[in-house]
Amino acid sequence: MTMRTLAVLVISAIAVTLGAQERTTLIRNATILTVTNGTIENGSVLIRGSKIAAVGKDLTTPAGANVIDATGMFVLPGIIDSHSHTAVEGGVNEVSLPNTGMVRIADAMTAHDISAYRQLSGGTTMALILHGSANAIGGESQIAKWKWGRPVSEWLVPDAPRTIKFALGENPKSANFRPPPGQPRQYPSTRMGVEEVVRKSFVDARDYLAAWDEYEAKRKRGEAVIPPRRDLLMETMAGILRGEVDVHAHGYRADELLMLLNLADEMGFTIRELQHVLEGYKIAPEIAKHGAGAGTFIDWWGYKAEAYDAIPYNVALMVRGNVLTSVNSDSDELARHLNHDAAKAMKYGGLTEDEALRLITINPAKQLRLDHRLGSIEAGKDADLAIWNGHPLSTYSRVEKTFIEGEIYFDRARDLERREQMRREKEELLKKEADAQKLEKKEKTDA
Amino acid sequence: MRNLLKTALVCLVALPLSAQSTIPNSPGVAPAIAIRNATIVPVTSATIANGTIVFANGVITAVGRDVAIPADAKVIDGTGLSVYPGMMDAGSTVGLVEIDSVPGTVDTAELGEFNPNAAAAVAVNPHSEVVPVTRVNGVTHVATVPGGGIVSGQSAIIELAGWTPEEMLLKAPAAMHIRFPRLRSRPLVGAPEEEAEKERQKNYTKAVDDLRELFRNAKAYAKAASARTADARVRRFDRDLVLEAMVPVVEKRVPVVMHAEFERDIRAALAFADEFELKVILAGAQDVSRVIDEVKRRGIPVILGPILSLPQREDDPYDLLFTNAKVLHDHGIRFAIQTSDAHNARNLPYHAASAAAFGLPKDEALKAVTLYPAQIFGVDDRVGSLEVGKRANLFIADGDPLEIRTSVRQVFIGGEEISMDSRHTLLYEKFLRRPAARPVD
Amino acid sequence: MILRRLVALLLLSAAPLVMADVPGVWAITGATVHPVSGAPIAGGTVVMRGGLIESVGANVAIPADATVIDATGAHVYPGLIDAHTSLGFKAPKEKDAAEPTPADLAIRGVSIASDDADSRLADGVTTVVTAPSRGIFNGQPVVLNLGDGPVESRVVKSPAAQQISFNPRPSWTFPDSMMGVFAHIRQTFLDAAQHAAAREVYERTPAGLRRPDERADLDALGPAIRREVPVVFVVDSAEMVRRAVALAAELKVRPIIAGAREAYAIAPELKNVPVLVAVNWPKAPTDAADRAEQPLRIIRNRVLAPTTPAELAKAKATFALVSGSGKGAEFLPGIRKAIANGLSAEDALRATTLAPARIFGVERQLGSIERGKIANLVITDRPLFERDAKVTRVFVDGSEVRLPAEPKKSDANEATPIDGSWAVSVAAPQGSVALQITLKAEDGTLSGTYSGDRGSGAIRGGSIDGNAFEFTISVNAQEGAEATDWLFRGTLDGDAMRGTVSTNLGTFDFSGSRAR
Repeated sequence: MTMRTLAVLVISAIAVTLGAQERTTLIRNATILTVTNGTIENGSVLIRGSKIAAVGKDLTTPAGANVIDATGMFVLPGIIDSHSHTAVEGGVNEVSLPNTGMVRIADAMTAHDISAYRQLSGGTTMALILHGSANAIGGESQIAKWKWGRPVSEWLVPDAPRTIKFALGENPKSANFRPPPGQPRQYPSTRMGVEEVVRKSFVDARDYLAAWDEYEAKRKRGEAVIPPRRDLLMETMAGILRGEVDVHAHGYRADELLMLLNLADEMGFTIRELQHVLEGYKIAPEIAKHGAGAGTFIDWWGYKAEAYDAIPYNVALMVRGNVLTSVNSDSDELARHLNHDAAKAMKYGGLTEDEALRLITINPAKQLRLDHRLGSIEAGKDADLAIWNGHPLSTYSRVEKTFIEGEIYFDRARDLERREQMRREKEELLKKEADAQKLEKKEKTDA
Repeated sequence: MRNLLKTALVCLVALPLSAQSTIPNSPGVAPAIAIRNATIVPVTSATIANGTIVFANGVITAVGRDVAIPADAKVIDGTGLSVYPGMMDAGSTVGLVEIDSVPGTVDTAELGEFNPNAAAAVAVNPHSEVVPVTRVNGVTHVATVPGGGIVSGQSAIIELAGWTPEEMLLKAPAAMHIRFPRLRSRPLVGAPEEEAEKERQKNYTKAVDDLRELFRNAKAYAKAASARTADARVRRFDRDLVLEAMVPVVEKRVPVVMHAEFERDIRAALAFADEFELKVILAGAQDVSRVIDEVKRRGIPVILGPILSLPQREDDPYDLLFTNAKVLHDHGIRFAIQTSDAHNARNLPYHAASAAAFGLPKDEALKAVTLYPAQIFGVDDRVGSLEVGKRANLFIADGDPLEIRTSVRQVFIGGEEISMDSRHTLLYEKFLRRPAARPVD
Repeated sequence: MILRRLVALLLLSAAPLVMADVPGVWAITGATVHPVSGAPIAGGTVVMRGGLIESVGANVAIPADATVIDATGAHVYPGLIDAHTSLGFKAPKEKDAAEPTPADLAIRGVSIASDDADSRLADGVTTVVTAPSRGIFNGQPVVLNLGDGPVESRVVKSPAAQQISFNPRPSWTFPDSMMGVFAHIRQTFLDAAQHAAAREVYERTPAGLRRPDERADLDALGPAIRREVPVVFVVDSAEMVRRAVALAAELKVRPIIAGAREAYAIAPELKNVPVLVAVNWPKAPTDAADRAEQPLRIIRNRVLAPTTPAELAKAKATFALVSGSGKGAEFLPGIRKAIANGLSAEDALRATTLAPARIFGVERQLGSIERGKIANLVITDRPLFERDAKVTRVFVDGSEVRLPAEPKKSDANEATPIDGSWAVSVAAPQGSVALQITLKAEDGTLSGTYSGDRGSGAIRGGSIDGNAFEFTISVNAQEGAEATDWLFRGTLDGDAMRGTVSTNLGTFDFSGSRAR
């Protein structure tokens, strides 16, 4: 090998190494709301690759780092929304059966829902995307980050736990919607029926597992035996019983929530999180005793009979009752300003600023069992965070930049620039199309 | 007899769902009250530090730094606190709905396309739970507005205190509300199916033509009615309540609120208003920045909102609804803010704050929920700011009411000290006091 | 001897009733022959006998018993294969007609109306792959020659595949969501595997075992599960294509993707998956204002969709061009658009002949002009994908098929009659007002100018639909007054027009005649 070739090889190797070096970003001189380790004034966050490398007051700027001067600004962990229906196509409900635990939101996720981008603009980075509430037992849900611009497969959080949606009350008993013309009303139509559906599903799941055990035993003994059907629905239910699938259950009235907690106790598993749980304040001790979390919106009430006793003090009462509580949206619109709702927990019931911020960061992270990686600004966690131009709990604040895993997915300055670009591109494309159409028409008539 | 009793009992049991609030609507007395040493924010003039405001018999009698306090006045120490004019929601359904999913409690929209004679004022429930929930956050009076159809009906300005609708009324009719026909409720994705498209076009044209015909007939009716009033010899004609309701509109005594969001629909609505020379207020108007010159030229005020709501097109800027207020302010166009809600009309100030987060000056945001809606609806002689002679609709807060963390301490409507209880505070207190759970075997 | 002749006559009369082409030996000479399997042959000859290609080349001996077709100046192609259609299947009249099942063979239910067949043949298509487009499991498509004769004699391959579409069922019937459709497909394949295992065990030792139900639909999935036949997934968007490919991998079946108009975005990912690209490219709304309202994403996609075949060619993927199931495209115009967007004419030809033949495993019989293959041929007056090319003669299975008469030119887009100058008179109460108005219509939008003693300028808000039109001008209703808008609404009637004018003073009639 000649010296020249060697030199070229070495230089290329260095170039490759440099290129392969992770992107480094330093956010400097901001008020860092770490959530788990207090507030750092004039602090900095160092991001290497997809992780937070360091958080502190006087961090040195590594060579080659992209420095963002965030003087006067605030840094908050990316907001986690524990109740979302964004980015799903082809229907968020499989309405047809009382138990549709065989369907999966993951099959229907799309990267083209502009609501995901708009949520980034409000500092929300990740969500639990749930099946709708048309059925007592709905489908498997999906935890995803709003990685706008990436293929949807990259949005799914890879090591997230499996989750499933239950629903109690008016929606699964079709209280407020009529069947299509010609179709009869569908079971269940009372809260009694809802309980029956849930109970029966678990009883059937136990029978399913027993049938498979019998089959395996017979087969081992060399007997001729026909294998049972593999049933996707039963396997999901079995997964719940074995603690492999977390149940996030939509419910409103205290009695139906208690029903589910008791049923879960009877079946030997713990409900991971009660959703909406607008009457949770009436039974906070029972929820805490069972060990379920609660994810709720704070000031919606009166839209259904079962929401008539909803009060914005619900969150504070549950927090004081030692229930792991999060504030979520169930709305593309609200998901853009969950910071408002966290602030409302201070107004209604006197939570502290710290407790309020937890409601939209570390608490939902814990409910999704991803708090080892998400929900606070700590070294080693995913670099999911947002830079705000004021304190996030102030209504006058807005987000300037949002990061997911160290990459900027929302940048207000860039957004403003891109508008003109988009407008021009649209104009050019439409003109190109109109010209082509004119040409086509001309050729047709000439022919 | 027994059956009758049973029926009566069943009715009584069913009653709670019609929401009879147990909270007093108002104390019924408007004594002399002075709030001393507070930060007074009159809105029409500079903020007064360490100021005092005095009101009696429902009317503000003094505002300033060194103000004489009547001997018989109840004095409230406002140290560390602020006093603001009561906020006004420029478009809501307060009092017209209790539970959205229970039709018996919903009176927001009559059937049919043309209901000019539907008047919100006659359907307001003064004892709705929504009333106390809304007022305890400082929203003291609202425009409550019918919906549905093309001509939805007449709105009313009501104070959120009073034992009957008449006691609540500030002004009725406030305006006639028209939801201008839209060809499209959302942008097309592909090429539309020809037959369906022809049908849509036909229906749109028919709707606009029907609206035009209503106005023409109303003009004719107005002419005949005024002729007969002037001269009793003019031939009698049978009354038409629908057209009668339109007479003040075509005679420009009652303004029309045109609800339109998209540019095409706003333009069509404005052209229509020109055609019939109507006094117009624009509402919704997410595309208002695209028609700003047309709006400015005609001197039309705009009711924006709900601001905490999504732009309707995929390509609309994410902050479109937040920045519209600033655009209007920069062009000197008067605007106010509506929530279009009942249950969360209380969040009105946070809609305003969101506009301020995106460039609207903070004091303008406050005016958009106090003075400007009053001016737009012509009740600013009585409400909208802390000025001598205006009604004592005001509240004491421990900070900026547009910030969520601020707590409203005391609300006054018509000078009466309003109960700060609501269904929500009462349920809160009830469950704060829940005894320790009994052990269950 | 007489007996033999009689027998021969009888045999001849028992042959399928076709045009007088007995004895079925043809030689097409003098044309540019495009074999597809090799380079084009100038002045070449193709000999057909007994429904098959006997020889093809530059200097081929013409058999004595051949009828010679002098095709000097013309072009000869293999009959095109439209490899994804629902030709011959219509939406059933009854609302709740049963959906197709995996057991349904398309060959049983197909019934192609002669008009439909004619229009395909006029496009040079001699072979289609068809199956119903309804339901989730569409059944088993058939590779079918077009033309005369009973279906059985025209089948090239049945079943050619299984076909799956992702059509949700009506609300409240499982599955009524897209994710439900996926679950249903998964469960069906699981059930098919279980059913096969159950039958196998039961057939070996029935004693003591419960008899499995009869399930023809599940049995029919066997060949797909064993990868003996491919599975066509009918999907359009890039995300759906990805979902289908992932599902196929999960089910361990051999996928073919059909539709895929957004595949331009993911072409490199489709190297190992055959794609049948539907050329019914997305259409734009007719109204310019509607187009301007659409999201940029939709507009971009519409402009880029026709580049899909070119992108697939660049990525060296295996693909065919098809008209698509359901309404389907105008085949040749759709192909021409793909060529206008970067696909070479050569690749376009391959994508409508040899590539679809390979994808469906009939390349030993169809897809090129080679000795031994089926004699499906098309003669055109100029290269097939040129704008004015006309298919002059078509042969299917070596018999000529009569082409339909020249279709009537559609009169949808002729020069609009409203264009030009008009003298208009408005019957205003204070006297008639005369205006000169020039108009020009384009795509439903009306533009132009007006002038008169009450004002002049450009018209606004003009639109025309058929004979009905409207536009707005700004004039002084009375001398010296401010300008106000006059909204004209009228109908066109040859060289005259009439209608109403709405003004702020009321509505008046107007009439107009064409200015000469």
